[in-house]
Amino acid sequence: MISKIALVGMPNVGKTALFNKLTGSFQRVANFAGVTVEKKTGWIKENGQEILEVIDLPGIYSLDATTLDEKVTKDFLLKKEKDKSADLFVLVVDATNLEKSLYLAFQLKQLGYPLVIALNLMDEAKKRNLHLNLPLMAEKLGAIIVPMSASTGEGVRELIEVVKETLKKGTECELFIPENSQKTFRSPSYVNGIFKEIDKLLDEVTITKLTPDTFSERIDQLILHPFWGIFILLTILIFLFQILFFWSAPLQDLIEFGFSFLSELATSFIQNDLLRSLVVDGILSGVGGVIVFLPQIVLLFLFIQFLEDLGYLGRAAFLMDSFMRKIGLPGKSVIPLLSSHACAIPGILSTRVIDNHRERLITMMVIPLTTCSARLPVYAILIGALVPDVSVAGISWLKLPGLLLFALYAMGFLSALGIAFIFKKTLPQTSPSMLLMELPPYRVPKFKNLLMVMKNKAMIFIRKAGGIILIVSLVIWALVTFPQKNGVTHIEESYAAGIGRIFEPVFKPLGFDWRITTALIPSIGAREVVVSALSLVLSVEGENKDGMTEALVENFGTGTLIALLMWFVFAPQCISTFAVMKRETNSFSWPLLMVFYTLALAYGVAFFSRQIYLIWF
Amino acid sequence: MCINEAPINKKLIVRSFRNNELREFSDLESRLMHLGFMDGAQIRIARKVSLFSGPYLVEVRGRYVALTAEEAELVLVEVLE
Repeated sequence: MISKIALVGMPNVGKTALFNKLTGSFQRVANFAGVTVEKKTGWIKENGQEILEVIDLPGIYSLDATTLDEKVTKDFLLKKEKDKSADLFVLVVDATNLEKSLYLAFQLKQLGYPLVIALNLMDEAKKRNLHLNLPLMAEKLGAIIVPMSASTGEGVRELIEVVKETLKKGTECELFIPENSQKTFRSPSYVNGIFKEIDKLLDEVTITKLTPDTFSERIDQLILHPFWGIFILLTILIFLFQILFFWSAPLQDLIEFGFSFLSELATSFIQNDLLRSLVVDGILSGVGGVIVFLPQIVLLFLFIQFLEDLGYLGRAAFLMDSFMRKIGLPGKSVIPLLSSHACAIPGILSTRVIDNHRERLITMMVIPLTTCSARLPVYAILIGALVPDVSVAGISWLKLPGLLLFALYAMGFLSALGIAFIFKKTLPQTSPSMLLMELPPYRVPKFKNLLMVMKNKAMIFIRKAGGIILIVSLVIWALVTFPQKNGVTHIEESYAAGIGRIFEPVFKPLGFDWRITTALIPSIGAREVVVSALSLVLSVEGENKDGMTEALVENFGTGTLIALLMWFVFAPQCISTFAVMKRETNSFSWPLLMVFYTLALAYGVAFFSRQIYLIWF
Repeated sequence: MCINEAPINKKLIVRSFRNNELREFSDLESRLMHLGFMDGAQIRIARKVSLFSGPYLVEVRGRYVALTAEEAELVLVEVLE
């Protein structure tokens, strides 16, 4: 049987980075506490054989767990379910923060665990002049200490060897869990006792002390300034949306060129009309119409990851805390809300760091209003159809489409805050949650990590395009193409038209005809699908996004396109978000309420936007 | 005095929690303790005000901890001369 090891440690000490190095996985890592909210499993392999199972546990400050994610680790450590625990715990310790991260070492030692300590971030500690007498430290702690760096990989091989040796010797131990453990773990004399032991140990083993991190504090004078801090946050966001639109353009052109070339090739080589239509209109146009947004999506993830790795997201939470509390959300909710701009699902999961149930629930309920990356292709197409590509206020780099994109994201975010305020007023009050969190030091993001994030997200998007988007495109192609009369398609009499017309009366006040309602139905599975679905029902030739925007304006007019844009700002998230909400709230009522209110909001705002446009123009 | 009333950038010594006659410590107090806000610990307020009022950025055991005005109010301190 394969032995099981678990990585434990304080939040943000590099457990997941080590897990990725050990297992070759690519779990999300970032420079703030609470990235891992549930345990993850991987395997260490040698010569293609799995030799050890590795579990990455959420970070924990002590065995006195207060949040949901911490309880997962606590239960694991106290072997609440013996068969689900580990054979050996590897304690990951931050060498640049020994004063705190050794706390768990003392607790685990008291419980009777054999200790293997991965002394992470040693590269950074050495740069800051820290020198330790490691043999003495190991002796005093009764532990095996492996100095290492999860980001560079230094010491990881040695750690694996130490783990194998320790497992060989046997790790059976009797646990000494104090009676009334919860009360003991939070008693001041107990906590003070451990901190005193840490200080004593560090006095004995420190040869040269760590140089203080004055750099982070100097930067924070500006970043956390009451006025400039907010100004910088807004500037960063505006800059992000300009980048999304314009840095991605050359790559998008290249992808378009590639798909056009393939379409031309297919058109000249395939003689059969139906087969040619299937390949060109169904596959290449459907998939190509979505793939063309790959550069924007990858850039969005890159930017979010950059801010996370830098240590900025924790600062954003700090900066916004006071304001967020006024509307019923804790500052900590800023992190899930900002992360949800990539995808709502990890955003919902990361609300586990919020200790107050009511505030966590409110955060989860409003996350669907933040704009996930799947809406980006829809926004990009509709913005292209609605506004010209011109500069604003004479600033050459400040373009109108980029500003409108920023405004749409801001609209989603602000509506999330507004709805949170309504929930605050309607849900029963409880005591507010804690902000209390450590701000990580600023770290220069690792280029390799950013590159891996881009590669990983690109692969996920491409797989999605080759999976659900391709399937939906084929289904819609079939629905749009059949039935044929004498081998000719009459789209007005197609199955798609029939289905779309069933829903048409409901959406007529928004200006949506059967073509839009047909495209809306598959978007429940994945937002991006609406682009390919519209291109199919509008019979747009090729996957050129300019052709698509022209077709939209010609067929629907500005009022309806504004309504469609507003629909996508507020409409319910995909079905996977619903499933995650159901799991996290353990009920159907909350996800159903989420769907209901977002539907009502989307319908109402779309209707009024169109009416206002029609009255004014 | 509590952290809210203490001067910025001065060395401070923690002198227990407000209402510490209560023997049952709350989740909040437990978290404060585990972040290093212990009786006798040396701390420093690095930033006092963010947007509107609070939260606070406090240096404790070599790291910066963000806490709200309500959380800061719980920790009693003395200025270390």
